[in-house]
Amino acid sequence: MSAAFDIASKDLMVTDGDIAVMNLESARRRSWSRFFQDPLRDGAAEVVVEHEQLTSQFVGDISALDRIEFLVSELVQADAASAHTALIKARAASMMHRFDDARLFLARAETGGAPTDDVQHLLLNIDQACGVNLHRVLGARRQIAKRYRRLEDLVALGSLQADMHEWNDADETYRRALSGYRDVSPFPLAWVCFQLGVLWGELVPEPERFRAAEWYQKAIDVLPSYLKARVHLAEIYLSDGRLSDAEALLRPIIAIGDPEVNWRLADVLSAQGRLIDAAAQMEVARSGFEALLGRHLLAFADHGAEFYAGSGNDCHRALDLARVNVANRPTRRALEQAYDIASSAGNAAVASELLSTIRRGVGHAVNAETSMNDYEGAARMIDRRAFIAATASVSLAPVLGLPSQPLAAETAASPIVLVIEGWSTPNQGSATDAVSIRISQSWRTAWR
Amino acid sequence: MSDHIDGPRQIGDPAGDLTDLFAFTSPENPARTVLAACLFPSAGADAMFSNAVSCSIVVRRVAVAGLGDAAQFKTGDQESRFTCRFDLLERGPPGGKPVQRGTVTLPNGQTLRVIVNDKSGAATPDGVFRIFAGLRSDPFYLAWVFAQRMRPVPNLLQHDNVLCIVIEFDTRRVLDTDRGALFGVIAETIPLSPTSPVGPPPLRLDWVGRPEQTNMRLNYGPGLEDIRDLWNQQTPFAIASEHRGMFLQRLKESFAHWDMRDERQDWTPAALSANANVFLDDYLIFDVAKPITDTSHLEIERSTLNGHAYQTGGGRTVDANVIDILLTWLVNHDREFLQGGAKQATKPGTKTFPYFADPNMELQSMAESVDLDAGPDRVWTLLGQFDPSWHPLIANVRMIGSGIGQLRSIETIDGKQIVERLEDIDNSRRFYRYSNISGIPASNYTGIFEVNPRGSGSSVVWRAQFLPDNQPDIVVRAIVSTLFKTGLGSLKSRFGETR
Repeated sequence: MSAAFDIASKDLMVTDGDIAVMNLESARRRSWSRFFQDPLRDGAAEVVVEHEQLTSQFVGDISALDRIEFLVSELVQADAASAHTALIKARAASMMHRFDDARLFLARAETGGAPTDDVQHLLLNIDQACGVNLHRVLGARRQIAKRYRRLEDLVALGSLQADMHEWNDADETYRRALSGYRDVSPFPLAWVCFQLGVLWGELVPEPERFRAAEWYQKAIDVLPSYLKARVHLAEIYLSDGRLSDAEALLRPIIAIGDPEVNWRLADVLSAQGRLIDAAAQMEVARSGFEALLGRHLLAFADHGAEFYAGSGNDCHRALDLARVNVANRPTRRALEQAYDIASSAGNAAVASELLSTIRRGVGHAVNAETSMNDYEGAARMIDRRAFIAATASVSLAPVLGLPSQPLAAETAASPIVLVIEGWSTPNQGSATDAVSIRISQSWRTAWR
Repeated sequence: MSDHIDGPRQIGDPAGDLTDLFAFTSPENPARTVLAACLFPSAGADAMFSNAVSCSIVVRRVAVAGLGDAAQFKTGDQESRFTCRFDLLERGPPGGKPVQRGTVTLPNGQTLRVIVNDKSGAATPDGVFRIFAGLRSDPFYLAWVFAQRMRPVPNLLQHDNVLCIVIEFDTRRVLDTDRGALFGVIAETIPLSPTSPVGPPPLRLDWVGRPEQTNMRLNYGPGLEDIRDLWNQQTPFAIASEHRGMFLQRLKESFAHWDMRDERQDWTPAALSANANVFLDDYLIFDVAKPITDTSHLEIERSTLNGHAYQTGGGRTVDANVIDILLTWLVNHDREFLQGGAKQATKPGTKTFPYFADPNMELQSMAESVDLDAGPDRVWTLLGQFDPSWHPLIANVRMIGSGIGQLRSIETIDGKQIVERLEDIDNSRRFYRYSNISGIPASNYTGIFEVNPRGSGSSVVWRAQFLPDNQPDIVVRAIVSTLFKTGLGSLKSRFGETR
């Protein structure tokens, strides 16, 4: 498949990105005014949250989270006990990756009579973000996408498929979202293009930088202020040696205040030999990350870990943050990140501790002493960098609620932990393949 | 509310969301007619038109084709179409806002360029047409909530702005009134297509005829399937035959629901059915040969449904109280006028072009807080009496009255007089709200003072929202900020500051 999907060839235009961002900012301010006039008015808080979410996502305004915290405190002041407040608190907590809090607030909202659809929708998002109940989430996502065919539902499905290593399915889902889009807001289009960039640039076993760069560029074409797309494209340019192109992408967004921009710019400047400027940018990045982590640790733990594991040059801090992230949401990506950092740091003890965390913490984790017919092939799908084969036998039935059909065992070299979040049952088959574990929907980790 | 945010698709890009449509005689010149469409609910101060949306106002001839329970209007096939498109932003003057221009294509194919927010608008050389496009105070007002029972409330759109397109023209020359004076008008927004004579046409974003077709009539209660987007994609003046039955049924159910909102049945089934038939064909009807006034809205439809000839020009003026007129008609069949909680919009319309009032300024918000090393109850004991004698910038205070409505007349140490009114107080939540009556150069000033627990101590938050009044924003903000900061700062020494 090629990334040559041409947005301009679609039979519609979208609103110019600069106009859309100006309108978003103006509507955001107005929604705050309305909220101040009457915090409990129907929809007032929801609109603010929606605008702040868009501002955070597409403009990269990290202070949006602080403003949402303020909104929550105002709502609590006005009506702490209502289901409505609990639902907003859950949304806010979810945005800040405080998922345990979000679940708690959501339970309160549900008990208090919040609309079931709203509760379920947010619960799906939280489960997906935390990498738990993914089989259930996938079923629900497919159903919702089929029923409503809304772009946002398709993006959520594509994102989940990507999390579950169904790369081509994810690509197809994203493309379906693009081709079905008939509205004029540039935000959704830019979002899908960005997701496709991440898919092909970061998630697939063998990243395709050129293809990813095309998608990021399309996202920027549609929405020039799209900070995340600019940063990701700048990373690719940096690794390709296109230093001035990378710098040109980052300079216009430096004032927004996201420390990741300073970090990437420092890398670019460093590669250009402008070491004093680079050091200055790196210092801004470091203090920026620390400030963010101080205010919203869980929201930025993974970014902070990435920073400190990279040019931030503090592997201990990186590992601490990665572990915080894993404990908060033990997704495949979080575990991969933690594993990479622990491995790079040569910290076997922490790696072992992480392993324990995985065993304890992952929603539907199965410590599967199992084996598979095409284990190595499956494993290649899981991890392009490291694989340690496994040995085992386990009955999945009690955990997954399947008929009890223990897998026959093949052997391999080393122990493995599989976090199994999905499976399929072939139409025909022997006991061996009666339950075929879809490794592409599972996460592996293996620690020597 | 009217046509504001009337479907999921509108929420994606509010610049394509039509809020209202107007048709009235020019207050400046009775020989001219004004058609106007508003977009972008709750537009902020910097809102601009989308460059990817075309907005059209379309007029067709209408004839009365039946009276009473057989009431019906028929429209002609020919239409007069005004289509507006807007450009990308241009860099404005140094330090200024960007500039946007638009092009209006007139029914005769002529085009006219306009500069967005230029109050004087643009006119054709012969003076037949005059156009304005830009931000205005939202003329719509809705002052009801429709929970279990209908309850009047203050205007829910107070201080809101919208983007307006105002088209004024010589009535006789443009509408050819020798052939009849009764017309129907709609406005629609359609995504622009960059290519393509082939392929399906882009889906319409929104269209509007009479106010509240979507939000109140088709989507009248919770739990209903949301058919507003489907409605918005219908072709105005030509609802798809395969959907007419479904929409008609929804309208009948809706009207039966509205009829019983006061627990009294005022509509016969036949009249209710006729009403649904008339409202299904959704266009704003106006007669340019009769007076269009603030109260003539829907009179043409109502009279026709009541079985007699209409008397006014119907239409919709800027100040028409359309919600109360509609509710009165639907709920009690004009038995008793239902007055909502507001009698006008934030700002009334004007008598001069472009007839829609200047946009509302953005309310300024300010907040200051201090964390104190004392429990909230102890702090509230001092601060919670609405009496600000504790404030170091205040020389004298005179309290007048008690409870809600209490006034505090303050003399500051530099001799200024400030009068403020207590609007709300809750000792259990340690919170009060007040308004400024005089003394601060601001209008719509609302202050909130609250003490919250924080750790073992407390947090005092003081905030205000206001419109600067005849003073630059920065001046008013400086005054308020000084009051807040000095006041809260003084509490640190009194109670100790949390570290």
